Amino acid sequence: MASADKLINTYVPEKDVFALHFLQSLSNLRTQNPLNSPDKSIDRVRKIKKAAYVSMARAAGGTSRLWSRALLRRAAKDDNKSVRFSRRKRKVTWKISSKRKRSNQRAPVVEEAAERLRNLVPGGGGMETSKLMEETAHYIKCLSMQVKVMQCLVDGLSPK
Amino acid sequence: MLEGLVSQESLSLNSMDMSVLERLKWVQQQQQQLQQVVSQSSNNSPELLQILQFHGSNNDELLQSSFSQFQMFGSGFGPNYNMGFGPPHEAMDECISRTSSCHMEPVDTIEVLLKTGEENRAIALKNKRKPEVKTREEEKIEKKIKVEAETESSIKGKSNMRNTEASSDTSKETSKGASEIQKLDYIHVRARRGQATDRHSLAERARREKISKKMKYLQDIVPGCNKVTGKAGMLDEIINYVQCLQRQVEFLSMKLAVLNPELELAVEDVSVKQFQAYFTNVAASKQSIMVDVPLFPLDQQGSLDLSAINPNQTTSIEAPSTSWETQSQSLYNTSSLGFQY
Repeated sequence: MASADKLINTYVPEKDVFALHFLQSLSNLRTQNPLNSPDKSIDRVRKIKKAAYVSMARAAGGTSRLWSRALLRRAAKDDNKSVRFSRRKRKVTWKISSKRKRSNQRAPVVEEAAERLRNLVPGGGGMETSKLMEETAHYIKCLSMQVKVMQCLVDGLSPK
Repeated sequence: MLEGLVSQESLSLNSMDMSVLERLKWVQQQQQQLQQVVSQSSNNSPELLQILQFHGSNNDELLQSSFSQFQMFGSGFGPNYNMGFGPPHEAMDECISRTSSCHMEPVDTIEVLLKTGEENRAIALKNKRKPEVKTREEEKIEKKIKVEAETESSIKGKSNMRNTEASSDTSKETSKGASEIQKLDYIHVRARRGQATDRHSLAERARREKISKKMKYLQDIVPGCNKVTGKAGMLDEIINYVQCLQRQVEFLSMKLAVLNPELELAVEDVSVKQFQAYFTNVAASKQSIMVDVPLFPLDQQGSLDLSAINPNQTTSIEAPSTSWETQSQSLYNTSSLGFQY
């Protein structure tokens, strides 16, 4: 029963969606840089990486997932752009992980790992542990999909 | 009441006993008199002897048999002893009458005895049953009270829990209840044996179960988590996996960055449109895509990195296109193309 509920919540689209988004972002990158080569490759790497994450966030669910929303917001803040949020009733999680009235009652082992996860998963700072687990699951799925797409692209483009 | 009855019966019993004893003695005396009479009369029927012999045996049988015999003899004696046994005849009649009357009485006494005995036993049983019944009833009442309390508290508990968490109800219903009758808290929700029934602890438990369920789901997703047992190890594995994936993304982006600048990045609108058109037609048939692919290296001049690729590498171009066109599973299955995934 729990797994059935999870399947509804943690839906990840097909690889094609990810590929499409990524390639679109790449093409956008290329249009943004009409110059042949920027000064340093690190910037390019960073740009590509950012493009990868943004495309992944868009492909995964746009602003419907917490982590994707946080990712997009973070990216937009760097670019000084505003992210468009779809009008939707959002469930606000009131619990903040840092403040705990009864910290002893929560399992310390789980909480330590949850803290580490929060640092890794975007938008994890304001989530409860149970919600964090859901977001982590979806994030892992999307990340793996993105990695596969990029790997295919790299393999396709690499000279044989 | 029963006690009074018992007392009366006991008194009657006593009286009956005395009367029975008296009558027995009296009968014995009569028999002795009869013996004397019989001995005097030589013509004795063996029945008298039998009667006398039976004297020593059970009184009941004796009495009954003797009474029957007496009745016979009474009738028999009558004609025989008309002359000299007038008064004994009368006495016999009397005794017969008395014995006849007695015939019933001892039987009655016996029956009464039996009845009283039974009644005594019955009374004893009843007395025994009464406390048993009382205890049972008390137990029932207690159980009823408990059940009522349980129902009330369960209702309260359920209403309370509904207010707090919705999923906790399902989790509590799934958990079995054992030995909760002992604890009659005002919130009586089915909890596991040996665990507190605090509201907070129940909520905590429900929360922990939720988290464990989600962790099990994560365990299925993350490869290699099955070997490690325990929450800590699993969580470490999960964190490690997330870090690995993020590193992989970074590495692949570096690779792409390396690949791309080798080839010119200038993009012409036509190629971009074609590129985008290609991806919009992802679900299209193979033929259209195969048509598009040879166009790429021909039309573009440095628009894409594909342009600089020799026709030798058309296969490599085709491979990803076909793989993207088909289902995502084909990407996994294209081992011949050298894809890792």
